Amino acid sequence: MTDLQFLTWVRGPGLNIAIGIFLLGVLWRLIEIYTLGRRKDLAAPRHAAGASGFHTVFRRSLPLPGMLKRSPVSYIGGYIFHAGLAIIVFLGAPHILLIKNLVGLSWPALPSQFIGLAAVVTMAAMVVVLADRINKPVKRFLSTFEDWFTWAVTFLPVLTGWMATQHLLLPYTQMLALHILSAEILLVVLPFSKLLHGFTLFGSRWYNGKVNAHKGVPV
Amino acid sequence: MSLDAIPIHVVNAPSGEPGLTGNAPPLLRELLEQVRRLLDTGEPSAIDLSALPLTPADLDWLHDKLGSGEIAVALQANGESTLNETGCPGVWWITHRNEQGAVTSQFIEVTFVPELVKAHPRDVAIGQEQLEFMISDL
Amino acid sequence: MQGPLIDTLARQGITRRTFLKYCATLASMMALPPTAGRAMAEAMAAARRPSVIWLPFQECTGCTESITRSHSPTIEGMIFDMISLDYQETLMAAAGHQAEAARANAMKENAGKYLLIVDGSIPLKMDGAYSCIGGRSNVDILKEAAAGCAAIVAMGSCASYGGIPKANPNPTGAVSVSDIVKDKPIVNIPGCPPIPVVMTGVLAHYLTFGSLPALDDKGRPKSFYGDTIHDRCYRRPFYDQGKFARTFDDEGARQGWCLFELGCKGPVTHNACATVKWNGGTSWPVESGHGCLGCSEPDFWDGGGFYKALSAPADPLKFAAAAAVVGAGAGVAVSFANRAKKSAARASHETTTLADLEK
Ligand code: SF4
Ligand code: SF4
Repeated sequence: MTDLQFLTWVRGPGLNIAIGIFLLGVLWRLIEIYTLGRRKDLAAPRHAAGASGFHTVFRRSLPLPGMLKRSPVSYIGGYIFHAGLAIIVFLGAPHILLIKNLVGLSWPALPSQFIGLAAVVTMAAMVVVLADRINKPVKRFLSTFEDWFTWAVTFLPVLTGWMATQHLLLPYTQMLALHILSAEILLVVLPFSKLLHGFTLFGSRWYNGKVNAHKGVPV
Repeated sequence: MSLDAIPIHVVNAPSGEPGLTGNAPPLLRELLEQVRRLLDTGEPSAIDLSALPLTPADLDWLHDKLGSGEIAVALQANGESTLNETGCPGVWWITHRNEQGAVTSQFIEVTFVPELVKAHPRDVAIGQEQLEFMISDL
Repeated sequence: MQGPLIDTLARQGITRRTFLKYCATLASMMALPPTAGRAMAEAMAAARRPSVIWLPFQECTGCTESITRSHSPTIEGMIFDMISLDYQETLMAAAGHQAEAARANAMKENAGKYLLIVDGSIPLKMDGAYSCIGGRSNVDILKEAAAGCAAIVAMGSCASYGGIPKANPNPTGAVSVSDIVKDKPIVNIPGCPPIPVVMTGVLAHYLTFGSLPALDDKGRPKSFYGDTIHDRCYRRPFYDQGKFARTFDDEGARQGWCLFELGCKGPVTHNACATVKWNGGTSWPVESGHGCLGCSEPDFWDGGGFYKALSAPADPLKFAAAAAVVGAGAGVAVSFANRAKKSAARASHETTTLADLEK
């Protein structure tokens, strides 16, 4: 297989398979989770200021008092790489073009130099977060294979995409193909790993907030 | 319908006039080196201008700096070629054009006389034959 | 006829200086050092015209058109005076059995020394019956001609990589020259068609140095195929700024912005169009407002559509809807199973009474 055939494969059949598995997995798991249902809480609801599902959705994005000081790397590094990923995925011109081709929506892009910068910052933040996970005994102890694996699966598309645009290591064609392939692996892994939090995050926060609000506790 | 009725404006270079890239000044240093070599060892050298990332503005700058000398040779061979000595003797600006007048290649040669100007002995021999023929006809 | 080349040229009214000038330009285009021009001229002038056999297989004659017609008034045409083209169906006067006899003759007289040029792919299905010359299949002719040649030039994308005949589903079973011939030096000059000066440049290189130029991993001369179109494209600054034409007649297209979104394959295509240009340096596809098709890369025809951006999916999504339905179905099925589990748990739940505890 030549590199162009490889590229055409990842753009064609590969993408087909990846998006197929992604949709299958996401729908399956979301439906499964949300149809589980919960017993109705028959107790009379209490009320407290700031206690509701909606509040919790936002409050959980902020560190608890004192936590920012205790683990600054997790918080700041986490913020940076999440924001960076969002910028790269949703504001890079080729990515918008892909979304436009898939669902028909499009919006203005950021210049490629800016996206390149965002990629560097994102990768730096991810590496710092990983180093922190390795260095802190507790974090290391709590980490399972899934944690290392999902980190790699998230990191690789950023790395290969950046290397492709900067013409590093491999010819552009091969790097681009590897980039698309790594993004496809991410798509396949996402529904069946903790990466699904991209979808379940707000639902679970809302749920926790609501359950506790019923008891009059803002969480 | 006139041409301006077609709503197209031709953009040749990305930012209007491409400016100086800063690639031209180092060439002067290289030329100095080559001129030295010519004087010391008699060895000629050349710079292929079409192989370098020079914008038209760079070439103009270089042309301006080198100026023009006393000799300008025009060669008619499948389109015109000009072999002009610059303000610095021994440095020649050589432009080859095709029959349509488009530049096909451009060089700066550092030599006493460009090779292309000299007549080849075998061609001279043909000239000699011609002369002999003419004389025999007198 | 077999004297040094310069004499042949002189007989045709081509002067030594014209020839020197040609060599200087050729060396410059091939990215050889400026002094190589003179060395080339000397070597070529003294060279004897090698015999060249040009075999046309499953092709459209576009490569022949390119090498002859577009440049015939200019000096590239001269290269044909430097070789002895002993067999070229389109250009030769002889036809039928006489033509075949000329080929057989040239092959015999120059055994082991002639240069073989091939354009077109070679069909293998049905024993090669899809393309025959004088009742013999292309594979057969190629194998015979390749056995006695010094080197092979695969002219055009079809001979180099199979080209359009090989496009999915490849009805004739087309393959490239290098798929069949394994024991001879082969240089690929892909392009649909290739740029004339690239073809003549490689021939000149062969004449001058008696060998084929340095090749990349796809068998192409590095001097012409070393860079991608995108690397040398004058629209590149717009790509970097994120300024793209979105249709062929929008403001961006008029401003000459980058054609990436309109399907330009420049970033993955190695060819010399952006520097050498076409039609004697007049223009080239991107300069004329159309994206690169990727014609010098293997299987460019099946690259997912000429007007689809490289980052866009090559095919429409096939399984997405089905996968969504299956996923939703699985979700619903599992949820029913969970429900059943829950109600079973509820049903088997036994209430604990005080009496039980006191037991
Ligand atoms: S027009 Fe094509 S080759 Fe030129 S910069 Fe844009 S994508 Fe690259
Ligand atoms: S611009 Fe691209 S498709 Fe067009 S001739 Fe050149 S390499 Fe082939």
